[in-house]
Amino acid sequence: MIIYTNEGNPLGLQLLMLAKFAKRSVQLVNLNLNDAKFKDFLILPTLELDNGLRLFSPAAIAKYLFVDEGQLRDEWLEWSTTLLAPALAHHMAVGHRADPNALPVLNALVKKLDDCLKATPYLAGDKLSAADIAVWSLLAPDGTLKGAQNLESLHGWYNRVKALPEVQQVLAEQPLKDLSFNALQQSNRYGGLHHVPLKRLSLADAGKLLAETASTVADTVTDEELAAAGASFTYTAPKDVQEQRTVLPKAGERNVLITSALPYVNNVPHLGNIIGCVLSADIFARYSRCAGYNTLLICGTDEYGTATENKALAENMTPREICDKYFELHNSIYRWFGIGFDYFGRTTTQEQTDIVQEAFTDVHSAGYIITESVEQLLCQKCDRFLADRFVEGTCPHPGCGYADARGDQCDKCGKLVNATELIRPRCKVCNTAPILRSSDQLFIDLPKAEPRLREWVDKAENGWTHNAKVITRAWLREGLKPRCITRDLKWGIPVPHSGFEKKVFYVWFDAPFGYVSMTKRYTKEYQKWWQPAKGTDVELFQFMAKDNVPFHSVVWPSVLLAINKGHTLVSHIMATEYLNYEDGKFSKSRGIGVFGNDAQATGIPADVWRFYLASARPEGQDSSFSWNDLAARNNSELLNNLGNFVNRALVFCEKNFNSIVPEVVATEEELILLALVNRELRGYINSLEKAKLRDGIRHLLAISRHGNGYMQTQQPWVLLKGSDEQKKRAATIIGLCANIACLLANLLFPYMPSTARTLFAQLNAKQTPLNAEKPLATLLLPAGHKIGKPAPLFAKLEQSFIDELKTKYGGSQETKASVQSQSSTADLEQAVQAQADKVRQLKTSTKDKTVWQPEVSKLLDLKKQLEEAKKTAVAAPASAPAPSNGGQSVQDLEKAVQAQGEKVRNLKGSTKDKTVWQPEVNVLLDLKKQLEAAQKAAKAAAAAPAATTAAPPAASADAGQVKALEDKLAQQAEKVRTLKAKGDASVWKPEVDILLALKNQLAALTGAPAAGGQGKGKKKK
Amino acid sequence: MCDVAKVQKIAHCLGVAPGKVQLNEEQVVTRTSGQKKSVAGFATILESLANESKSETAQNSKVSREVEAQVYQWIEFSVLYVAPGSRDRNVAKQLLGDLNKLFASKSYLVGHFITLADLAVYYAIYDLVKSLSPVEKEAYLNLSRWFDHLQNRPDVHQGEPLLNFTTIYLHGWATGTHI
Repeated sequence: MIIYTNEGNPLGLQLLMLAKFAKRSVQLVNLNLNDAKFKDFLILPTLELDNGLRLFSPAAIAKYLFVDEGQLRDEWLEWSTTLLAPALAHHMAVGHRADPNALPVLNALVKKLDDCLKATPYLAGDKLSAADIAVWSLLAPDGTLKGAQNLESLHGWYNRVKALPEVQQVLAEQPLKDLSFNALQQSNRYGGLHHVPLKRLSLADAGKLLAETASTVADTVTDEELAAAGASFTYTAPKDVQEQRTVLPKAGERNVLITSALPYVNNVPHLGNIIGCVLSADIFARYSRCAGYNTLLICGTDEYGTATENKALAENMTPREICDKYFELHNSIYRWFGIGFDYFGRTTTQEQTDIVQEAFTDVHSAGYIITESVEQLLCQKCDRFLADRFVEGTCPHPGCGYADARGDQCDKCGKLVNATELIRPRCKVCNTAPILRSSDQLFIDLPKAEPRLREWVDKAENGWTHNAKVITRAWLREGLKPRCITRDLKWGIPVPHSGFEKKVFYVWFDAPFGYVSMTKRYTKEYQKWWQPAKGTDVELFQFMAKDNVPFHSVVWPSVLLAINKGHTLVSHIMATEYLNYEDGKFSKSRGIGVFGNDAQATGIPADVWRFYLASARPEGQDSSFSWNDLAARNNSELLNNLGNFVNRALVFCEKNFNSIVPEVVATEEELILLALVNRELRGYINSLEKAKLRDGIRHLLAISRHGNGYMQTQQPWVLLKGSDEQKKRAATIIGLCANIACLLANLLFPYMPSTARTLFAQLNAKQTPLNAEKPLATLLLPAGHKIGKPAPLFAKLEQSFIDELKTKYGGSQETKASVQSQSSTADLEQAVQAQADKVRQLKTSTKDKTVWQPEVSKLLDLKKQLEEAKKTAVAAPASAPAPSNGGQSVQDLEKAVQAQGEKVRNLKGSTKDKTVWQPEVNVLLDLKKQLEAAQKAAKAAAAAPAATTAAPPAASADAGQVKALEDKLAQQAEKVRTLKAKGDASVWKPEVDILLALKNQLAALTGAPAAGGQGKGKKKK
Repeated sequence: MCDVAKVQKIAHCLGVAPGKVQLNEEQVVTRTSGQKKSVAGFATILESLANESKSETAQNSKVSREVEAQVYQWIEFSVLYVAPGSRDRNVAKQLLGDLNKLFASKSYLVGHFITLADLAVYYAIYDLVKSLSPVEKEAYLNLSRWFDHLQNRPDVHQGEPLLNFTTIYLHGWATGTHI
């Protein structure tokens, strides 16, 4: 017979034992289910009988190999596979799969075993049966019973079975330390036993029987890991590394050139832009420097183009002034975020002009430039060709004749318009009639470069993120077309080609060369980075959001390949997906979301922003910024995990050892901790080498979690009061913790540089380079090292503060302002009516969403204002808003939400055309948001009177009032229950909030403790 | 469908009185019938039902030790993977795909006859199949064929309305509403 299993699968042990007891010879084969060769295997382990039949159920195999041993045995067999095994898998799981509810369940299960074994020597009676083998083989791996108490009968049975010669033989072949329930995750394609729900036993609490998991994780540490951890934990005096003034690549060393996509100058960057490129690039660059690579991080603002020209017109400034103004804004935002560019430049420099013009000449002489004629409108008064948006005229479509049609579209009939077809066109700036002129434009011949590009992409794309590969492949699949690289503008780099003197380069031709020109501003020897000599390898990492991928993976490499002068081509395109704001989009115009300057205004430290953004980085899929998540991560991870560990370690050292780091005399406990830390350290290094910043944070936090667990189990504060021997132990523990704190400071540096610096100051230590080749923890603070003054690193973010920020950046502040400017609700109602008519007309005449979408947004804004105005009108008469008032508008809104929801459902059912129902969905979402806000207001209003009534003794509470509240509470609870049963969290969440508010109110009235568990947040010592 | 309901349905299929079926304190399904003692565990109960039944399905399920073992493993599969996995989108997709592949070359899970294995997986996957759209059902054609074949047996559907596997309606769908 053959047993097919995956490495470490604990159920493989069961099959080995069953075969041994059934006296059959077996062969064990380890395989990997992800391998296409093994796609026919469903579940591991699988037993292949000599007749070729394959069985994957251990219980079925037991029943097949052994004669019928009675119903009791069969029940135990089923119990072991369907109850015990899933509970163990849940209990042993690590990371996000770990389930704290598993331990009580497991305790109840082993209690049942113990009770059974009190009555009979074996599970199914007086004799050993397959049931004993099955259960024993589940309890043996991962040391489940280690440290368990009050299970004498179970222990006795366990040792009796273990002593059997068959078991000993199997254990000799298959050592227990190689097995772990974690391996079940790879045992099938259904997530192991992760999805099997834990049965909530109605049995009374079985009490504390099994030890907590911490010790069982430690059991997975191998002797080799312990030896390696011990050997490397030595002190080497740090070498003084001379900081180079100018970083240049060197032959034979690792040279990392990092760029972040150039932000467009007249946009204020929002959090999505920041984590998408500049922050990611900075974290990676900081890591790269820590790892001792020659690292250069370059970025700057992209300043040329139509958008800047328009903005300059709008603000009545010159383009240069606009760029100067916004460049400062960008620069200050990035500086506040602690982005450590080696050089932050701009594209409007002489270097840029020189490099782009030279590049163009090279491309041209290589024969990759073609000239084509394009018809365009020329305004003779302004002396320039007019971009589509700069022309207006009469709509050429029959039957429309709208006089103010734009050059790309008619607002009335919604049809697309060709600017050259407009009847009586006029220049939007000076109102004179432009003339039609055919103008020659230059195109880059991408099809000619395509074969070489494909060849390069095949080799290079291994280091790219998945989305970058997909986007590039999609472009290549469609086939490349020539792209126009010139524009009839003034604000740009002049084209150095006869006949084209009045034209400039299109931004996407010139912007990527900004990386090169900014490097040139940084050092005269920029060519060492961009055209390295033979023998010097430069790895180029480019960080960007996914919309920039084609320009970095197709257009620019094509240009560089055409030039063919050995330019550094991108080896790692690190493209992120998009970051949403609380499940919506960032929108500057509607004031939704947090923009670079807002982050500063919140008063939350830049490092916390950096940490949160990196841990919410949209790697692989879109992610959302959420205020609650920000607070939760700050409070639970930074404050309670990392900050707590570091602070405890240093304060102990200061108070009990006079700020002198004691000697570490490592026993097995310390080596196990070091081995676990080394595992995470390796994970950290591996993640950051691939710029997987999110995973890096996970590993970093796991280290301090291990540290906290170690301190909690060792309890140095108890040992300090004990004998001399115990005091020495305490010294070792504190010495080790201080060292791990120092390691954490090093690992934290790329993510939170100023916090790391503070921590280094508290440790009185310097940064040590990371060894990426050999990621093992070393002794960083030798015995006798004197530390500085410890202080807490992080502060708690209170929920009330977060709620404040949430409403502030939720898009309501602008509407609030405009409410005041609007004189009355009547006016607003009229405006809404008019706008609605306009939208209806537009929608009937066209399907083009871009046409009517802006109008719809206007309508929505107006409606929102109206709603607000009505609300303030209702609230105004009563000097203090009574809770019932809030409730009233809440009810109205609820009705509106319901009606709108119905409408959307109907629309979605009747048509698949998204453009039809999308606006209605938007309306629905807006309504829901309003409802939420209203409910919060109601809640706040409800809390205020409750607080005042709570002040006098509870006896004075009006009995009638209490009764009414209780009734209301019961009703709301019922509502929540029914809503929850239906599912959708966005629907019932607000209702739950109301319920909690009611509960609080009631609590305040009756003097009973409030619901909501505010008391849990206490910091533990 | 909960374990109790499944046991009752299968008992009816086999023409055996289900007796008293309930969950014990470990949330494990148990069956107490007549004067006999109780049986705990879904798979073990199904075996006890088969032992009492004279139906064709029950006989098919124990023609040999090999068949018995395979029937048991599919019952366990339905308990550990099908029913819980149906609640997770990715696992459900994997399950449907795997079973679909399996039924490409077989009409029944074990051997060439209907067995308890088919019944256990059928009732475990019923809710998931019910939630599929016509297009999805078409994507899992082999699984759909097996399911439709089983549900048309009166002892299996037991009066419940049949799920729709007719893809011809798709044509009407596709042309009508697409603007």
